Amino acid sequence: MRAELTVIRVAVRVAVWVAVFVASLADLSSAVAQTGAAAVEDEVAVVVNNKNPVSNLTTLELRQLFAGQKRSWMGGRPVVLFVRAPGAHERVVLLKLLDMSESDYKRYWTVQVFRGEAMAEPVALFSNGMQKEALTTFPGAIALVNYQDVKPGMKILKVDGHLPGEAAYPLN
Amino acid sequence: MRYNPAATLLLLVASLSHAQDSAPSERELMQQLVLQVSALQEKVAALESQQRANAPSNANATSPSISTPTPLAADNNSQPPSLIQELHELRGIQWEGFGEVDYKVLNQRAPELGSYGFVPGSAGNFYTGDFDLLLTARINDKANVLSEIAIGEGDAQSYTIDLERVLFNYDYNDHLRMSFGRYQTGIGYYNTAYHASSWFQTTADRPLIMEFAAEGGVLPTQAVGLSFTGSIPSGRLGMNYIAEYGSSDTMRPNLDNAIVTDENNGNHINVGLFMRPESVPGLQVGGSIYHDQISDFARGPSVRLGQMIVNGHVVYIRHGIEFLSEGFLIRHAYEHSSIVYNTPAFYGQISKQFHRIRPFFRYQYINADMGGLLDDVDLRYGPSLGVRYDFNNSIAFKTQFDHTVRKGQPDLNGLHMQLVFKF
Repeated sequence: MRAELTVIRVAVRVAVWVAVFVASLADLSSAVAQTGAAAVEDEVAVVVNNKNPVSNLTTLELRQLFAGQKRSWMGGRPVVLFVRAPGAHERVVLLKLLDMSESDYKRYWTVQVFRGEAMAEPVALFSNGMQKEALTTFPGAIALVNYQDVKPGMKILKVDGHLPGEAAYPLN
Repeated sequence: MRYNPAATLLLLVASLSHAQDSAPSERELMQQLVLQVSALQEKVAALESQQRANAPSNANATSPSISTPTPLAADNNSQPPSLIQELHELRGIQWEGFGEVDYKVLNQRAPELGSYGFVPGSAGNFYTGDFDLLLTARINDKANVLSEIAIGEGDAQSYTIDLERVLFNYDYNDHLRMSFGRYQTGIGYYNTAYHASSWFQTTADRPLIMEFAAEGGVLPTQAVGLSFTGSIPSGRLGMNYIAEYGSSDTMRPNLDNAIVTDENNGNHINVGLFMRPESVPGLQVGGSIYHDQISDFARGPSVRLGQMIVNGHVVYIRHGIEFLSEGFLIRHAYEHSSIVYNTPAFYGQISKQFHRIRPFFRYQYINADMGGLLDDVDLRYGPSLGVRYDFNNSIAFKTQFDHTVRKGQPDLNGLHMQLVFKF
């Protein structure tokens, strides 16, 4: 009787361990799935006006555009930069792209304007709705928009040949 | 408490099943909410655009005299102005101001190069330096105007207004950007990087060689004319050019007395190349050659000489590090004569940002031939050491110690404190 009890106890403990192990695996797989989903949600799309013939930019070109060093599109159309205001996820990605802090960014544009290399700091918008309006209003406009917030009327550009959601996409 | 494995197993199974049930429903709910918000945003946008489309016709019906502003984008001339188009950043005049308050002490009772409001006869003085107003305005997508107005302190706290820059800029494309008006000559790096504002400079003053001609500097730092810049297709090398043609007429006060030398510069030509390689972000390497003709009235009313200024520079600014290094050769060759005076000069400056504090070190050297136009400068060299403290993005305080060795004169020591601000 005692031996049977011991066997039952061992069996129950093994069952518990198995259950905990299975649960851990389930949690792990769920976490992995969530991380993957979060990665796609965190990605930021480069969007331009629908009439812009450009379809792909390199990371360098993107950096030059948002740093105001490249000021016209092929064909001579002026680039009009729109960025999100501080606090937005797109702003964080922008600063990461430029390798600057918020303070560096402010100072950088003050210097650019003073040197005559820019008219003004890029217009900071407070919503993606405004970004969409800006993109449709200005043919030379370019902006960064959270991939999940991309709306009809925004043309998504590839970056280094990749679209948001692809493994090698650089903007997140 | 007694451990009950069976109960634990049941609880685990129950909690697992609960978690598995609840997680998808929360996600679905979130997705539904996101979709609803997106749909609402689209509806609001559509309603707003309808409202905007109706607004001008209504306005015109009630008040025909109100004119509709012309939209900026050529492709949208028929569309009503939107909120974005009316943003001040895109249509208005932008302006920024820069100011400074200085205190400078020298171990002599006579003014020196770049001493601004320094009062002869006293060892230390307060002065306000330049009060700078920068105005920019967009004319259209490709053209804009930039002007820099400096109010500088002269003798006995008198103030003069100087139009440091006024430029009509036209960007044809990235390879051709044109400027017309008064500019600061692109001799080297410093002059076009920092212009007339102390706020941008790490140090309290400009390097000796880059001092403005009106303050006793030896270079023609400003001119009126045409300036062309742009990028050169060069892949990852990041080559750029600058070409200038204009009049850089200058009058510079000599350093050791009140005599003012009118150099009567003719039209100059200045060409430069610099690269910003992609492989080393923050690095700029370049050079320029400047040429014009100036007068030496001390030798005769019509004595002219060719002035050539060759510059080479290496600059690295990234990750809080600032490294500036420039070398110059100023060559004065008298016409119809074999007389040539060469003035080599250089400066090197290094600083590193540690949170709000940026200590810096600079060493400079200039050696003008005796008998030439710049013989009041003669041989001067020495270090400067100091600290810049940024209270925030708009206010900073600098303290700088200078030691200058001068040929034939006692060494000059100075303490310069400066409060700079922008608004």
